[in-house]
Amino acid sequence: MVGYLISLIIFTGTFTLFSLGLNLQWGFTGLINFGHVGFLAIGAYTTVLLTGDFHVPLIVASLIGGGLAAILGLLIGFTTLRLREDYLAIVTIGVSELIRLIALNEEWLTNGPNGVYGFPLPLEDFSPNLLSKMVMVVILTGLLVLAYWRMWRWLLLRLRGKEQGQLLQNAGLVAGYVLTLMSLLYGVGVAAKNMKEAETFSPPILGLFLAVSLIIVVGGYIVLARWLFPRLQNWHYGANLVSVLGVSGFGLWLYGAGIRGIFDYDYRVGLMLILLLTLALVYWRLEWLVQSPWGRILKSIREDEEVAKALGKNVFWYKLQSLMLGGAIAGIAGSFYAWQLTFINPDGFKPLVTFQAWTIVMLGGAGNNIGTLLGATIFWGYTTITRFILKDIIPLDDARLGAFRLMIIGLILVVLMLTRPQGILGKKEELTLGR
Amino acid sequence: MDTQLIQLTLNGIAVGSIIALAAVGLTLTYGVLRLANFAHGDFMTVGAYLSFLANSLGINIWLSILLGMAATVAFSILGEKIIWSPMRNVRASSTTLIILSIGLGIFLRNGVILIWGGSNQNYNVPVMSALEIGGLRIAYYQLLAIAFAILAILGLHLLLQYSKIGKAMRAVADNVDLARVTGINVEGVANWTWAIAGALTALGGGMYGLITAVRPNMGWFLILPMFASIILGGIGNPYGAIVGAFVIGIAQEVSTYFLPTEYKLGVALVIMALVLLVRPQGIFRGTL
Repeated sequence: MVGYLISLIIFTGTFTLFSLGLNLQWGFTGLINFGHVGFLAIGAYTTVLLTGDFHVPLIVASLIGGGLAAILGLLIGFTTLRLREDYLAIVTIGVSELIRLIALNEEWLTNGPNGVYGFPLPLEDFSPNLLSKMVMVVILTGLLVLAYWRMWRWLLLRLRGKEQGQLLQNAGLVAGYVLTLMSLLYGVGVAAKNMKEAETFSPPILGLFLAVSLIIVVGGYIVLARWLFPRLQNWHYGANLVSVLGVSGFGLWLYGAGIRGIFDYDYRVGLMLILLLTLALVYWRLEWLVQSPWGRILKSIREDEEVAKALGKNVFWYKLQSLMLGGAIAGIAGSFYAWQLTFINPDGFKPLVTFQAWTIVMLGGAGNNIGTLLGATIFWGYTTITRFILKDIIPLDDARLGAFRLMIIGLILVVLMLTRPQGILGKKEELTLGR
Repeated sequence: MDTQLIQLTLNGIAVGSIIALAAVGLTLTYGVLRLANFAHGDFMTVGAYLSFLANSLGINIWLSILLGMAATVAFSILGEKIIWSPMRNVRASSTTLIILSIGLGIFLRNGVILIWGGSNQNYNVPVMSALEIGGLRIAYYQLLAIAFAILAILGLHLLLQYSKIGKAMRAVADNVDLARVTGINVEGVANWTWAIAGALTALGGGMYGLITAVRPNMGWFLILPMFASIILGGIGNPYGAIVGAFVIGIAQEVSTYFLPTEYKLGVALVIMALVLLVRPQGIFRGTL
């Protein structure tokens, strides 16, 4: 369990890093990058090839990977950033596919479909003594405190000046809504699991039961939400409070797993610490950047390019910087992607990976780094829960279960765009969602 | 020019006609409704699978493809009613629509896998021997695909140039607000656009399924060549899309003479990149 949780933290962390790059490009600058996985691939392959064949130090290789990914951003940007915005979507997805094709076919470089493995991993041969374990605990605790501090400060800033009684009432209602929904879904799941094990009904009837009960529960709750939430004033502040509380509890649980992992060390624990440190560093610098004048220019480009141009800003140059920086972050995420999988092949760089990052960014709220963190947590929570639970509930084979889970992701994107295009934490007042 | 090159060119024309059938729909929805529909390839897959469904019930293949086309039209108009029309009414930005279409594509692609499984399916059709002319082999169904594409394109041409709805579509493509002011029923035009797009795309899907196999990824893998074709031909210009599709199809196939087969897709992308660099508005005048 602890080992699994640590893998999960690494996975979530890698995708958060990856999605932070996309959030800079799309969330802050409005660039539709559908080829984000291309940057990831460049970073991953550069790292493993340099460290495997040429024994370059890991950190240097990772940085070179990020640099090459930035150069890819430069090349894409130079050709397409002057054109209409939707051309960028088409070109980037094309470029990422091209990179995957090259990785698939240039066997002398990438070993083709068989992939690369056996490359050095960070802290692979490191066996910590008690002192270094204590240092690790301190690092982890520090990161947790830092994260909590940032999160609660954000929350308090957001809630400043709101009436307390109303806030608590709303938070109670939102919490009740979420908890009852979750327990109802859980109840349906348990019922379906028991029915599947008892084998009293044939799979089609079981499937029908599941579908009908899910539609009733979810549909009922959507109707309830449509009726309830418009009646509550400032309900989303209550939702913020509830989600921060939920995330805090969840974080504490993960922290416990991390601590136990440190005392039962394997290389994944070290990787987790390095990743979390990198994440904290990147997050910190990104927040600083997007709040600087530079970040404000990016946002103004996202909202209305013409205005930024009229104010004398070199829009093309700023867009290019954003694309390159986001690409570099994704390239560094690529190193972690490779280290965590300990094996990479072109199949790991399909366009679907890009759209996972998109789901993360859109779910959390474009133009909000905390949102990206939240989105990644929800996304990997969803993936993990469904991977383990659906098997017991739904009478389908593995390939179809995988398809079903992806269908839900597609549906989430569609429903999100239809009903709440700004995502969970995004500010509608700030984003131009319509003309 | 040796026979292999001619053979590859012929293959390319067959592939090109399939891309053309689908790309016309894509360019129409792009030009008329301002929607870069990344789910368009998956519409094609859905069309092919709906035809497969009819075919597997024992219905004749041509009737099945007709049924598949009809079902895809119904499906496209349903999508217009549920998704696209409400989104246009709230004046959603084009990027919101693009992301929506990506989600829809993932949903459809995996829905197909959920229902029919991930493996290849084949239509139940009699095996036809390929025509042999002077050392060239032309598969019977390739020939049919080309013929159907030409027929469909002729029909589309007549519809666009001489029918009232065709003129209305061109007017909406030029300027939505101006068209609305002149009394054109924009919603009706949108439905017609989806109907034409759905029918042609499903036909393309059926033909593609006949030539190769019916696969859950068939349409998704064609979406980039389709976009390359419509950018090449000027977005919103159906004739341009057709020319673009043939250029892309032939270039892809002929490139296998010089390059490994796997780089086919890359050729389409490189052509697209070159067009964007040199003449981003496309070879012909588009509406965007």
